Parts: sequence; structure tokens; C-alpha cells
Amino acid sequence: MTRFSAPSRRRFLQSAGLGLGSIALAAELQAEDANGKMHHAAKAKAVIFLFMEGGPSHVDLFDPKPELTKHHGQKLPASFGRVVTPMGTGGNTLLASKRKFTKPGKSDVEVSDWLPHMAGVADDLCVMRACWADGLNHVGSVCQMNTGSVLAGRASLGSWALYGLGSENKNLPGFVVLSDTGEVLGGARNWGTGFMPATHQGTLFRPGPSPILNLAKPAGVTAEQQKNKLDLITKLNGIHGRERSSDSELNARQSAYELAFRMQATAPDVIDFSKEDAKTKEAYGLDRKETAEFGHRCLLARRLVERGVRFVQIYCGAGSQWDAHGDIEGNHTKMCLRADQPSAALIRDLKQRGMLDDTLVIWGGEFGRTPMSEGSTGRDHNPFGFTTVLAGGGSKPGTVYGKTDDFGLRGVEGKMHVHDLHATILHLMGLDHEKLTYRYLGRDERLTITEGVVAQEVLR
Amino acid sequence: MTSTSFRRYVLFAWVALVGSDLRGAEPTPADWAFRPVLAPAVPPVKSAGPIDAFLLTQLESQKLGFSPRADRGTLLRRVTFDLIGLPPTPEEIGAFQNDTSPRAFEKVVDRLLESPRYGERAALFWLDLVRFAETDGFKADDTRPNAWRYRDYVIESFNADKPFDRFIREQIAGDELYPNDPRALVATGFLRHYPDEYNAVNLEQRRQEILNDITDTAGATFLGVTLGCCRCHDHKTDPIAQKDYYRIQSFFAGYNPVEVPVDPKAAAEYDGKLAAWKSKTEAIRAKMTDIEKPHREKAEAKERFRFQVEHSRLIDLPPEKLTPLERQLAAMASKQVYSDKRFAPTMLKGDEKKNWDAHAKELAAFDADKPKPPAMIHAMTDLGRESPPTHNLKRGDWRKPDGVIEPAFLSKISTIVPKLTPTATTPGRRTALANWIAGVDNPLTARVMVNRIWQQHFGKGIVASSSDLGQTGDRPTHPELLDWLSLEFVKSGWSVKYLHKVMVLTQAYRQGSEGSAESMKLDPENRRLGHFPRRRLDGEALRDACLAVSGQLNLKAGGPSIFPDVPAELKGSGWKPSADIAERNRRSIYVFVKRNLRYPMFALFDSPDRSESCSRRFVTTTAPQALALLNDPTMLSFAQSLAQRVMKEAGPKPEAQVERLFVVTLGRKPTTEESAALTDFLQRHKGTPTEALVDLGHAVFNLNEFLYVD
Repeated sequence: MTRFSAPSRRRFLQSAGLGLGSIALAAELQAEDANGKMHHAAKAKAVIFLFMEGGPSHVDLFDPKPELTKHHGQKLPASFGRVVTPMGTGGNTLLASKRKFTKPGKSDVEVSDWLPHMAGVADDLCVMRACWADGLNHVGSVCQMNTGSVLAGRASLGSWALYGLGSENKNLPGFVVLSDTGEVLGGARNWGTGFMPATHQGTLFRPGPSPILNLAKPAGVTAEQQKNKLDLITKLNGIHGRERSSDSELNARQSAYELAFRMQATAPDVIDFSKEDAKTKEAYGLDRKETAEFGHRCLLARRLVERGVRFVQIYCGAGSQWDAHGDIEGNHTKMCLRADQPSAALIRDLKQRGMLDDTLVIWGGEFGRTPMSEGSTGRDHNPFGFTTVLAGGGSKPGTVYGKTDDFGLRGVEGKMHVHDLHATILHLMGLDHEKLTYRYLGRDERLTITEGVVAQEVLR
Repeated sequence: MTSTSFRRYVLFAWVALVGSDLRGAEPTPADWAFRPVLAPAVPPVKSAGPIDAFLLTQLESQKLGFSPRADRGTLLRRVTFDLIGLPPTPEEIGAFQNDTSPRAFEKVVDRLLESPRYGERAALFWLDLVRFAETDGFKADDTRPNAWRYRDYVIESFNADKPFDRFIREQIAGDELYPNDPRALVATGFLRHYPDEYNAVNLEQRRQEILNDITDTAGATFLGVTLGCCRCHDHKTDPIAQKDYYRIQSFFAGYNPVEVPVDPKAAAEYDGKLAAWKSKTEAIRAKMTDIEKPHREKAEAKERFRFQVEHSRLIDLPPEKLTPLERQLAAMASKQVYSDKRFAPTMLKGDEKKNWDAHAKELAAFDADKPKPPAMIHAMTDLGRESPPTHNLKRGDWRKPDGVIEPAFLSKISTIVPKLTPTATTPGRRTALANWIAGVDNPLTARVMVNRIWQQHFGKGIVASSSDLGQTGDRPTHPELLDWLSLEFVKSGWSVKYLHKVMVLTQAYRQGSEGSAESMKLDPENRRLGHFPRRRLDGEALRDACLAVSGQLNLKAGGPSIFPDVPAELKGSGWKPSADIAERNRRSIYVFVKRNLRYPMFALFDSPDRSESCSRRFVTTTAPQALALLNDPTMLSFAQSLAQRVMKEAGPKPEAQVERLFVVTLGRKPTTEESAALTDFLQRHKGTPTEALVDLGHAVFNLNEFLYVD
């Protein structure tokens, strides 16, 4: 296809006097604003990122540490040097995990008894045990896991994916963020585009049964009436934009209208679960108080991806709810109860529908937790070594990759920095993190900034 | 990224950002904001005032300049939205277009600054900063029924151009400094907007969280420094030691949230009348109390059991036996144990219920004698002349006190030992802090406020991170200009209106919003202000603009907050629309601020959640925003009123209607091309002429030109 630059193409559409019919065409521009195509064959067409906000404890979930149990109550060996953590727990005594770990499948993947449902899909998981990050605090670390940098202002992973690939469904946002009732720390910076055009930013849906307000036309307004109105808006915005062509925000807003119009037709069907059978709903835990809310959003994510949405991010515990400084047992018992069943149901459901092969599920937080105790029963932030789990989308099932030290403090083998994780995720989506660039201030910016290595070991 | 590569990257980005001309120039030192404000020399630039001279010097170093002037219509719309948050009326547009005097624009600015609408706009940014809300947040999210008075106080203060140093003093220590001024007591509400889990069990933790919130907010709001990080450790980069954090916190250690009467005389009158009602109804109430007693006691005992014994036992001890800290904890515990919530008639069954109901009926016969409670202020004071000790907390953990801390200021700025003069009921600590912050020698205070006002007018502050002038924040793009303005601000008697005026009367403010190709290339972020930055309206201004142009805006000022209608999905989440329709149509600043349910139009258009200080809002562009403007019944009702107004003012001719519609909503006449498109829309519409005009108005509300200000 001949490449027009976005503004010139838009102008062409307008000067050709096309009305709303042009909207569908204009929507393609969204993808065209991007580099446009994959760099290599993709394994994952879509991504669902289950973000456990606040930092789940890897040593209690996916990374058993017998030595930690043995040395409970003792300090870290002197060979570890001085460990700086936000709450100054570096010199505290080690806290054994009270969890029981098993190898529930045929593979080497180990899962603790806090995640009995995830245990059921253990052989589908690719457990990366030596992830690491730069930030010590939540806001910066959540921001880095999303954008590569602890500082605000860069484009998020979902935005890069959308920029690189566009969306398969022009009638829904290509990047959807599903938050729970808490506020994600740092807010919109985590799904924003930073220096990139605003068109690629994530669209935040509301928690609860009405994720999008005002989806329906007001009573008494006909479809034709609304279409005519939108045609007029498009036309007048076009005239207004002629002398303001350098402003990407104005263009993005016009695209948002076009998308809104199409969402009206398609979104009600996405959020209507009435055609889901009772068994599915039960599997996601919609019938139980503890799991209903997160389960609802996991099911919604599957329905979005089914319809071609490129990137869905679900926050579980927005507002640092996994942040178990004081009481790991109490906090994680509650949080795992909320997260476990719906997460596993999503993986199983995708698999049953043949969707897991090309849908990458990511499960993890902004960092893990320390093997050292905080207070007597809590754990501090640990960005030095933590677990992130992949499933499907071309990741290697039933795999354990990377290793932390005997206590689970630092990654020692197969280390994956956030940049490496991002490079790997983009790779699975058919994108080369070094080639997926956006020119800004004379520099080809990329998600991984100047780093990032694809971990071949986790690829199928 | 490794730290070396990060440094490499930052260096690269920095060089790219500032361009070649600044390389080699003296870099701004990291602790610049903590150094004294020195009078900079205004660069000699022909026919430019001082502000423009500073800006042009940088632009000209890259052979750039300002863009051509914006036309009068654009300028009027810009300055009107900026200063009062509303669009100009057709009459105001006509008057400005026809005013040929050289002072025409200055007259407009004076008119806007004198308008009572000005304070209603200026207050919005302040309320973001001080995380103003009318509910507690957390799960319970209980209402704070008197919090709105603080909002009115802020509006009135901006309108009166209250000297900013006085504004600071009132909010930090109004109760100590101006005890007889009810407005100053309302001002102390600043210290009470913290989110509060009132039913938290761990009282010491709750106390520490409240104190942290107050310290963080005061630091961000007035000093523009992020003290929060110092809670746990020495600030890695800022010259703010951890001890400094707790030094500042110690000024607030004796905090005591109180509700005090607006008018003590009215309150005394109330007490008298209430005593009379009580004596008349004593027998009836005694019978009711007897019935309630076992239920109440059971609930109270259960509530008491939730606390640690060492806390709950404090309730029973006489206050004079308690330390100041114990008094604070006892007050928190006792408020919960003896809450009105401990008894509800629904607890009663059978005969008990029958009897209680009968007595309640008897009691109701005296309702006419029962006085209405007096108006109260949501205020803050201290619990006595002695404060609880403040400790340096190891890693910010309240369980790990590490040495007692005495009140002192940020050590990098001042090592003078604060002089404390206790009042009859308070230790005088907050007065000392307020005087230090509001003192002319404080290098941060004026810079921070100047930078905030600059941000309001130019989109970004001279320091982009407007609540972080420390080393973790951005460097100023024009440090001399910031200092020059700061000195002018203090010289003007801390007049905020003066700041607005000198900023909007510049060439920089009056230029057009399209940059030259050259400037877009050399300065794509527009840090040097080679053109005026276009801005999207925030949700509050958008709603106000719709109300204003549709002729429905109710300009009633002040008083309890109002509840506009919300989408059907949100009904029943504790949001009951105001019964009086006219009340629903008041300005956005008067809309109730509920932490757990922000008014959807505001939330969609990026208003902050008011759980912590917000100095600059994000701007997002999303499909749900478009859906709201297209489909929310409220938007349609705005369009209906707009159509009626246009028909009334323009008559039945489509050409005249179309012209009037544009003038009213966009402040200009349509071009021939636009006019053709608009009349064509009206003529092809299948409904009645009124319906056609409603749809046309609705479309205009959705235009980029309506939503953005050039």
C-alpha cells in the first residue's frame, strides 16, 4: 500500500469530500502512524498483562528456598554485603516461607499452596525467576515495569505494541486498561504515550459492570442523526486542523471520536456476559465474593482479545495492595485468594479456545519481596530478584528460567532486567525492540532505551 | 538499565534538549532552589518588557523569536478561560473588538481579575494542591459536612487578592494567629483534608499516617519540595536530611481536629435552647436511654475490644493523667467507641421496639423546641500547650523511634532555632513554621508560587515539576526570569493578581499558537515559548463553558456543595442529584468532591483523585471522553438550551442562527466554508428546525475548537 503521511492522507480524505465512510479508512491511519509491520513472524497476536500491584512475594509463590527455611531467624551471610531496601530491612533476620511448594505438573515448575489454581496450569507456565528492576519505591517501579523508566514521560509497553502493530479490531481501543477500585500508583503515566502521539495511549475502563459509561446513544437519537452529527464534527475538525497540522493531540481526538462511534456498536456486546455459559462464569469465580471482581475483568479481557484487541492490562490490587510490609501471611492469603482462580481460569479458558498459542499472558508485579523480615512477619520491596510468569503467546511452557541466590534476594543466573523482559515481550509480538523506534528530539527512542536482550531460553 | 548507561542517556537527552547554545554555559546547580533569590539583570532587548526580554534572549540565541500576535478574538478567549474559566460573551467580544485604545487588552485583564468568577477559577488549582475533598476516602468514605467552607475561603481569598504570605499563615496557623477571625479558622481546614481511615484499629499508625500526609502536603504546596522521600531515608539527592522531615513534622505533632462554631454567639444561643429542650424532655429521653443502654453498651464493648488494651484503657482515664500523645490516641478511640453509630433503632425487637417507638413519637412532639445545630467549621488546632514528642523514625517506621526531634526548619536553608510563643491553648509551633515559610527570606516560597501561576498561563512551569524544585525535579528553563518574578511578587506585597497581570500582558502570552517550522524543529517541546501552547479545557471548565453558552449557568456563589445528575449506572453509589435543578447548574467548583466517586465528567477529563497533592494534571485523549460528550444526556440537555437561546437571539433564519451559534460558543463568526456546511446540515436535517438546531449545537460542543484554547 502506498504510504501517505498521516496528515496528508487525512487531508486527501477530506478533500475527497468523504463523509463518515471515511471514518473506517481514517481508522487505518492509526496503524499507519506507526512503523506499520512486524519485523518477524509473531507468536503472540495479543497480550494480557495481569499486574499484581504492590509486589507479590516470589519466595512465597514461585521460587521455593529451602535454605531460607534453614536459616530462618539468622541474618544474611556477610558475603551478601550491605543491602539497601526502602524500609532498611537489609540487616534484618531471614523469614522462612510458611508455604508448601509442589511440582504439580510434569514440568519443573513449582507453585506454592497459596496458588492452588495456578498449580493446575503449571505446565503451561514459563516462570522467570531472576527478574530485576531499578526502582525501590512503588511509583517509580510500576512506571518502569510499564514504560521502561522509573521517571514519568515515556511511552508504555502497550502503547509501543499498538504503535508497532495497530489493532486488529478498529471498533475497540487497541490498548485497554482495566483497573479495580483502587488508583494505580502514578495513574495515567503508566498507560500514556509520553513523547509519542496520544492515539496510542491506553484507554482506561471503569471497574464494575459498566466499564464504559455513556456507551448507548441518548434515548430518541437515531443512528442516522448521530452519523450526520459525526460527519459534521469530522468536517469542521478538518477545517480547524488545517492550520494546526503539527498538533498530534487534535488528530488523536478526532480518531477518538471515530473510535467512540464504532465502540457504540461493538462494545455493548463485549461487556454483555449473558452468552457466557454458567460453567465459564463459575470457572472465573464470578459466583464468589473474593474472586468475582477480578474474575469479571479477566473474563472481559478474554472477550476483548477474542475481538482483536491488541493489549489488555488488568490491575489486581491497584494502589499497592500486594505491599505486605507488615504481615505477609494476612496480606497474601487475601490477595492470592483474589488473584489465583481467575488468573488460572483465564489461561485455561484461552487454551480451551485455542487462543493461548497466540495470546501472551503475563503475571507479576513491579518487584518481589525480601527474604529478610520486616517487623516480625512482613517482607520489604525486592527489585533485585523476583519472578515474572508468562503463559502462551510463544513462551516456553513448563519452563523455569533464571535463578535467584539461596535466599531469593538477587538474581544470579538467567537474569532478566525489565528491559530484557520488554525486549522479549516485543519479540514474541513480532517486533524487534531495537528497530521499533520513534524519532523524538533527534533521537530514535525505543521502549528499552539503550538496553534489552531477548531471552531466547523462554521462547518456544 | 545500568546506572552508567542511564547517565549516558540523561546526558544525551539533556544535550538534545537544551541545544548547543547552552553547552559551556554555567549549568544550574542542583540545589539552586535552596539558594537565595538574587536580583538578576534584565537583559537589554529592544521594545520588550522584562519578562519578554528574558524569554527573547534565549529564543534569539537560536535565531528564533515569538510567533505573530494572536488575533483579538483568540486572545480574548484565551485570557478569559485562563483567568475566570469561562468563555467570553458575545458582548465582551464586541466591546474588545471595538476598543481602539492602546490599553484595550489591559482593561480586559483588569475586568477579569476584578470578576468574582476569577476566584472560582484560581481556587481549582489550589484545591488540587491541597487534596481538598469532602469525604474521608478509604472504604467508608464518610462525608465531611463542613469541609466546603474551606473551598469558599480559598475562592474569597483569591478574589480579595489576599497577600499570599497572609494566605499561608492563615492555613498553617490561623487558629493561633487570628483566633477571632472565623475565616482564619476555616483556613486551617488545609490541615484537615488528609484521607482518613477513621475506623482503623491501629491508632498509632493512623496518627503517623495523618502526620505524614500533613507534612508531605505542606512541603509540596508551599515549599515545592517532595519531603515524602525523606520519611524513610536521607533524601538521596536533595539537601533535605531525614531529620529535617521530622523537624517539619514536629510543628504539627500536637494536631487536634475540631469542629468549631462559625459564630460563637449563635452557638451559645443554641446551647441555651438545647438545654431548655433537654429539661422539657428529660423524662421521655430517660426512658429511651434505658431501652437503648444494653444495646449501646454491648456495641461499645465490642468496639472497644478492637483496639489494643493500652489504647482503649486511655478512654477511661482523666485527661490530666494522660500525656499529650495519649490524649490524641484517646480522642481517636473514644470518638469511635462512643459514636452515634453504636445504637440504631433497628437493633430493637418486640416490646422494646414498641415502647421505644412510642417514646420517640412523644419526643417528636417537642421537635419545634429543638434548636437547629449552629454552623460549624472543619478546623484544626493543637490539643494543648504541650506537644507529643516527635521522633526520627527509622526507615519511616512508626514502631522504630530513633531519637527525639525538636522543631526546626530545613537545615540547608536555615539553622536558626525557631522561637516558639505559646498561646493560651497551643504551643505556637505552627505559627513559627508559618512565619518561616511566609518570610521574605525563604528562597522557596515565592519561587514556588510564581512558578505555579506561570504554569497556569503557559501550560508548563519555568520549572516543569512544579511541586518539586529539588534535585529530583526539573531544572528551570529560565532561572533568572523565575528569580526576577519572585522578587517582583514579594515587592508587590505578595499580590497574586499582580503576577497574573504581568504575565498575561507580555508579548509571549499574546502570540499565536502555531510555531514556525524552524522553531518546531529546534524546540519541539516549546520550552522557549516560541509560540503559545494550545490547551485542552479541563473537565471543570468544559462543563462550565457548556452551561455558560447554553444560558443555564447559575452564578450563585458559595455554600454547601451541589450534586449534578450522573449517568444511570452510578445512581445509588452515594450520589443523589440536587433536588433543585438550578442548583445542579452551578459552577463546577461547587460540585461535591467525593473521593470514591469523582464526578464522571471531571474524572474522564483528568481531574486528580484528591487523595494526595497534585500540582499538574495529566492530559489524556480517549474514546470514553468522546462517548461522554456524544451520549451523556446532560450534554444533550445543554444543546437543547443552547438551541433555544440561539433561536431567541437570532430568529428563524438558518444563516443568522449559524452565525449566532458560532459567536456564542466559539467566539467568532463562521467562515463561508463553515457557514455552508452548517446551513447544509440544518437544511438536510429530517426533524423540526428546533431539533436540527439542537443537533447542530450538540455537534459544536464536540468540536476540537470548543474543547481547545488556542
